[in-house]
Amino acid sequence: MLENYFPILLFIFVGLAIGVLPIALGRIVAPSRPDNEKNSPYECGFEAFEDARMKFDVRYYLVAILFILFDLEIAFLFPWAVVLKDIGMFGYLSMMLFLGILVVGFIYEWMKGALEWE
Amino acid sequence: MTLLLSFSEIVFYFLAAVLLYAGLRVITTRNPVQAALFLVLAFFTAAGIWMLLQAEFLAITLVLVYVGAVMVLFLFVVMMLDINLDRLREGFWDYFPLAGFVGVLMAIEMVMVLGTRHFGADWVIEPAPHAADYSNTAELGHLLYTDYVLPFELAAVILLVAIIAAIALTMRRRKNSKYTDPAQQVKVKRDDRLRIVKMQADVEQSVGIDGES
Repeated sequence: MLENYFPILLFIFVGLAIGVLPIALGRIVAPSRPDNEKNSPYECGFEAFEDARMKFDVRYYLVAILFILFDLEIAFLFPWAVVLKDIGMFGYLSMMLFLGILVVGFIYEWMKGALEWE
Repeated sequence: MTLLLSFSEIVFYFLAAVLLYAGLRVITTRNPVQAALFLVLAFFTAAGIWMLLQAEFLAITLVLVYVGAVMVLFLFVVMMLDINLDRLREGFWDYFPLAGFVGVLMAIEMVMVLGTRHFGADWVIEPAPHAADYSNTAELGHLLYTDYVLPFELAAVILLVAIIAAIALTMRRRKNSKYTDPAQQVKVKRDDRLRIVKMQADVEQSVGIDGES
């Protein structure tokens, strides 16, 4: 079974090489003689006047957390879909109960207005 | 012990070394964004090690859920949040004794649980190599929805609790919001806005300007 994943391993190494090699080559081969002018912002640019970090609306996190929860729910669906023919009615109903419990949560968040964006 | 390692052993040691390095960097690097990226690397290598154990579904789910969703959220939070790095690092040495104590305690507990007495190579047998058409996902599905149906439904209840907790903790109406709900506007009755007052009809005589009669 593992040999099926050998191409993926190769892919990871090739991807790493493509990512790392140009940077490493640039570091090694290119001349680097920085001075004050070269390190300063460009003529047309300006000094940063504000931090990039800012206060975020907390509702963003609510949407993100809800997304992750339903993402997890979907992860449970994959093995179920693979073996649906073998596990019969019982397996089907167990997943329906699982989905039913989560639909309760979905209806709750919908009714609460957690999905609305003012 | 032979000096020659098999290919999967080489891969394992490589992944384990990267995982250790990434885990160490998560807690030692000063920049939280870099720490989050090292955590991504740690998840990737952990997925590789799970793949070596032939747990392909778990490995792919780790990449899908943790790297794809959780860590992206983490990175957003870390990059966007209004945190002052210098202020965060303040008081490091004040908290160090307590944190060190908790850390040592946790390390001792982990050694006691995960030490070689229960978890060594003697106890956990190596999974037998499977054929190329073996599907770990199907194997998992056969067990999860029949034999382990109660823990499975329990997972649904835990997810439900998480949904409700997330809503209870972060659902707030913004005070300065000028949003109006069209459904509420449409549903307004005449009585909500208009009041008819019965009063005596009287005829005004001479009307001055602005009260000076």
